[in-house]
Formats: sequence, structure tokens, C-alpha cells
Amino acid sequence: MFSRILSLARKEFLQILRDKALLFILAWAFIGEIYIAGHAISLEVRNSPIVIYDLDKSPVSRELIGRFRMPYFKILSHITNEKEITEWLDSGKASMAIIIPADFQRRITGGKIAKIQAITDGTISLSATVAIAYVAQISSEYSIEILEKQGKFTRAAFQNLPIIDERLRVEFNPNTLHSWFVSMLDLFYMITMVSLLLPAAAMVREKEYGTIEQLLVSPLRPGEIFLAKIIPTTVIVLSLSLLSIFFILKSIYGVPIRGNLLFFYSVAAIYVFTMSSLGIAVATISRNLPQAGMILLLILAPMLFLSGAWTPPEAMTPWMQWASHISPMRYFIDFGYSVLFKGNGIAYVWHDIIGIIVLGTLLFGFSIWWFRRKIAK
Amino acid sequence: MHSRVYAIIRKEMRELLRDPVYLSLIFIVPIALNLLFGYGLIIDVKNIPMLFYDLDRSALSREYMHSFTNSEYFRFVGLAKNYKEVDHVIRSGDVRVVVVIPPDFSRRLNEGRPAQVQFLVDGSFPWRAEVVKGYVSVINFLFNQKMVTEYLSKKGQAEVIAFPISVEGRAWYNPALESKNFIIPGLLVTTLMFFPALLAALVVVREKESGTIFNLYCSPARPWEVVAGKAVPYITVAFISYIIIFLMSVMLFKVRFTGNFFVLTLGAILYISCTIGIGLFVSIISRTQVAAMIITFLITVIPAFLYSGFLSPLTSQDMTGQIVSRFIPATYFMGMVRGVYLKGLGFNYYVWDVATLMLYAAIVYTIAIASFKKRIG
Repeated sequence: MFSRILSLARKEFLQILRDKALLFILAWAFIGEIYIAGHAISLEVRNSPIVIYDLDKSPVSRELIGRFRMPYFKILSHITNEKEITEWLDSGKASMAIIIPADFQRRITGGKIAKIQAITDGTISLSATVAIAYVAQISSEYSIEILEKQGKFTRAAFQNLPIIDERLRVEFNPNTLHSWFVSMLDLFYMITMVSLLLPAAAMVREKEYGTIEQLLVSPLRPGEIFLAKIIPTTVIVLSLSLLSIFFILKSIYGVPIRGNLLFFYSVAAIYVFTMSSLGIAVATISRNLPQAGMILLLILAPMLFLSGAWTPPEAMTPWMQWASHISPMRYFIDFGYSVLFKGNGIAYVWHDIIGIIVLGTLLFGFSIWWFRRKIAK
Repeated sequence: MHSRVYAIIRKEMRELLRDPVYLSLIFIVPIALNLLFGYGLIIDVKNIPMLFYDLDRSALSREYMHSFTNSEYFRFVGLAKNYKEVDHVIRSGDVRVVVVIPPDFSRRLNEGRPAQVQFLVDGSFPWRAEVVKGYVSVINFLFNQKMVTEYLSKKGQAEVIAFPISVEGRAWYNPALESKNFIIPGLLVTTLMFFPALLAALVVVREKESGTIFNLYCSPARPWEVVAGKAVPYITVAFISYIIIFLMSVMLFKVRFTGNFFVLTLGAILYISCTIGIGLFVSIISRTQVAAMIITFLITVIPAFLYSGFLSPLTSQDMTGQIVSRFIPATYFMGMVRGVYLKGLGFNYYVWDVATLMLYAAIVYTIAIASFKKRIG
């Protein structure tokens, strides 16, 4: 039995190795793509382009404007009339306009409250909210300094007031480095995509070429045929991820790999098996590659986005939480961050492992059943 | 000449219509993805599970806890019994924030002295950790303000120092800052990026694998006629999907639509032509369907979501991200779509985007036609 599987697996290997374009893109996916992702993708608000409409033009207002600086804001222009605000925001060149009223300095020196306006482009509501919060932060810091200068209050006065000082510590990623999160996420994405697509495409191809008939008359059983498709995928995916863990994640981004790599690898191997089984299940039910491609897209796109990385489990609606349990990727993302990044042991992730194994077994079993019923008959 | 293009179009159309499973998938996929993402992609940071380790157990510490859990941002999970539990929940990811209230919390505050509270935040998702930081400092600030006011009024110093600068934030185009108003139009862009590309990715390489490409090689049809004949039917199909997705966004998701439908449609036709062109190009250069499918998945699905400015403005990306984003057509269409939906501006605001998309399409088709060689090897 083993020699049968191995000889078929060897043929699959050769088929993949012969396709230079495929090999190149696989290597690119695990190295170049992950490198770019870690560098580029950021959900933080950085260098937000703003324009200033300063009606006061006083030392106090200039001091405030000076605080709108990188890395949060980038001042594009000082405008001189209100109409320009519309132009800057409409064209999307600026995403915020700060308006400082004419009586700004007078009110502040007079001990009264001066109101500045921050008009944001609300189209991307997420970053608009964050940008307004930054403005509030800048103005309250400046407010404290003004109060100190006016002698209304000193920092020492804090010692005699019931004030709660929040000491915030971000565990595992103290500087909230985005690259750590995204480069790992992209690695998990690539593992998922490749282990889903590669065996599915290889299986459909046998159908389209008609070589499936040859396999049917061979002594191989359906499960053995499937395993022969899964083994090369597993070897390729795992060796490529080893490269990206060591060369990209560790060396370039300095992601702390706190967990046991051997443990990660054993579960990753099971995960590749599960995803490959899903791919093969899709391949057995579709007639040709275009059909399979559409079904895979229908499965992959929601899986990538609803895996818990962008919408974490606690933010999901009940039906999504339920649905996410049938996605192997949800378990793997949880497992991956938990073991690789947080350095957790099996006590924290046993349920993820069970999820991956159960789904994999079900999908593998389904493929065999369907294959026997529809194709092998 | 025209009849040759027409003949190829007819043949492609017939092939499409012959496979009812594929044809129905073509329409199901965009609808299903739009529904899934439209309802499922929740990026607002709310209901974050929060655990308290209250060593003080006083009325004041309870009040402090309530100030967090009464907001929609944090959800009360429970009280920790010991420090081991704190470590465990952060590691397991069941809780994203742990608040440690020291034993002398209420004593110090009641005496009018500052107290320290420790917040431990799970850093697995750095941008969510950043948002949590912001929420914590705002809620803490409000609590402090209330406490200081009460304390001072008890001591007879009723006059409370107010901040001299206040900020009035306003959001244009999306006054309530609803995330659906940017997610749903964004989905129009992302779906029309990977879906048409995938449709087109197999059309040429299929013929290579089945050998029917030789019919085209031997026929008098010139490369541009082949490419045009293959592109037109799929542009038509993708255009129908565009209409469906547009109607869903306005009628089902009730997104604000203030602009001109014809401007949007003009942009959409150009954009679809670009993405079909990308698929065709991949199809022409690939030798196997497997490679074509995987290449298309890799260069469209993830970039569509991550580099197009879908979740955060492009200005926040660093150099690498900005460069990558210039290579995908989604970036140019994204600005246009958000503008038309929410800003309702006239055509002259989009001339540049339209011209860029035209140029992009011209380049893609030129490269595609140039790489279609009627030779073997």
C-alpha cells in the first residue's frame, strides 16, 4: 500500500516540479508576498493629510498647528478661505481640515474656552474616528501646558488629587508592531491558499484529461489516490513556510517565535491535510477547473476574512460564530498565533487541534464516499 | 476582420451557456460573497471582553469597573480569583483586556492621592490593541474628571479648571460615521477585482491544455482578435455582476448613494476591462491551468483587500505599500467609487481616475496581446 501511494506521490511531485511558473509563484508567495505584506499593510492612521484654516494667525494658534505633525498628520496647505475646504476634501487630497477661529488667542488668554473645528472626510469612517481622537489628544495636551503656563495648575498638583493613572501594557507585542501581526497572518493565508488550491487543481486535471480512468483501473483505492495528492502539497507547503519563518518573519521582522516549532509543524501538517481534503472534496464534486475555481473562491474568500484575524470571535454575530466553527482556518489562526507567537502549549490549543482533525476526517471521508458513488461506479 | 472577432465571441458565449452549473456559479458567487462580507465584516471595535482582578473590592473600585463595562466598547467577563487566572485568560485569548486594581485603590483615592491601575492588553491584534488603548484612556479620563470635580467641591473648591481648547469634530459625507457606508462600496471594488480576473484566468490556458489552442494558431485570427474575442463575453458577464452588486448595495444594504450612476458605470466598465485583462494575461503566459488559477488567486484576492485602500487610507501606508497599490487597478477605482457613492461630485472630479483606468487597460491589453504568440515552444 505504501509503495503504491509513494509512486503516485512521486508522479505528482514531478508534475509540480515541472511547472516552472507554478514553482516560481509558490516561492514568491511564501517569500516575496509575505515580505511586502509585513512592510505595507497598516490599519493605523499615519501621515494623515490635513489642511489648516487659521483665522487667528497668532503665536498661540501657530504653536497648536506645530503640534499637528508626523507620524500622525501631514500638513499639506494653509488655506485662506472656507471654499477651499470643500475642494480639498471633495478631491480626497486632504482627509481633514482644522479650523481655528479668529478669537482663538484672545479667548485663551482671557481664560475662556476656545473651540477649534476638525472637519474630516468620513468616507473611511474607521480612520476618521481615529483621526478625530488624535486631534482631541493633541489639543488636551496643549491645554494642560497652557494651564501650567498660566499658573492655574502644576503637575505637582496631581500628587494631591485623586487621579487614576492608567498603566497600560500590551502583552506579547509591547510596541504594537503591525509587521509582526501581518507577516504571520500572511504566512497563515499562504499555507491555507496553497494547500486548498494545489491538490484541488491536480485532482480536477485528472478528470479533465481522463487520466482518472487509469487511476480507477489501477489497484489504488480512492483514499490512496487522495493521499498521493496531499503528500507533495504538504512537503512543499511546510518547507516553504520554514523558509519564510526563518528568513522573513525572524530575520527581517524580528517576530519573536516563542513557541515550539516542532509542535507547530506537526499541527500545521494536519492542517495542510485538512485543507487539502477540502480542496479534494471540491474537486470531486466539480466537473471542470472553472467550476472548481468558482466554488473555491466561494469558500476561500469568506474563510480568509472571517477567520478571526480581522473580525475577532468576540465581534462576530451569533450566526457567524456558529459558521466559523466549520472553517478549519479559524482553528488554525487561533492555533498559529497562540503557539507560534504567544508560546502556548497544548493545554491552550487542544480544542483547535481537535477541530482541525475532525473537519479533516469528515472532508476526507466525504471525498471518498462521493468518489466511490459518482466517479468510480 | 470583425467577423473573426465575432466568431470567437460566439464560440466563447456558447461554451459558457453550455455549462449550466458554471453559469449559475458565475452569478451565485458575487451575490453570496457580497452578502457574506456585507453582513459579516464587522471591524468596529466593540464588546471587547474585559476581565477584572480587583484586589480592593470596594464601592469605588466597583464604580470604576462599571464605568468601563457600561460602555458599548467593553464587555464584562468576570472577576479573576488569582494572578494565575489573569495570565491564563490573556494567553488563551478569551479576554483581550485585564484590569488589575491594587489593594490600596480606594484608600489612596479617598485620601485625595493618586492611584495606579494596571491594564494588560492582548497584543495579538496590534491595531485593535491600539484602539483599546484609546478607549481606556478616554474612559479613565472621564472617570478622573468626575472624581476630581467631586473631590474639589467637597473641599469647597467648586471652581473646576476647564481645558482652554475644545475640539468640535464633524464628519462630512458620512455624518454618522457608519462603517457600512465605506465597507459596502468597497466590496464592489474588491469583488470586481478578483472575480472577473478568475473568470478570465482559465480561458486561454484551457485551450492550451486541451490542445484546441492549435485551432487558433492555425486560424487567420490575429492575436488581438483572439484576445478581444475572449475578453468581450467575460466583460459582459462581469458587467451583469456589477449591476447586481450595485443594486444590492443600494437596495439591500441601503448605502447612501449621492452620485451619478452613469459616471460609476463608466468607471466600472473600464475597471472590469482591466481586471479581465489581468486574468487573460495570466492565462496567456501560464502553461497549466493549475498555475494560472493559483497565480490569479495570489495576485488578486489578497491585494484587492489589503492594498486598494479598502480598510485604511493609502496615505497611511509606507513606501512599499504605496508602490504596490499603484500596480493594481482597484486603487484607482476605489477613490472613484467612494466619491460617487458618498460625495456626489460631478464627472470632472473623476477625469483623472477615468484616464488612469483607460491607460491601465491599454497597457494590460497591449502586454496580453504581445505575449500571445502563435508559435509553439
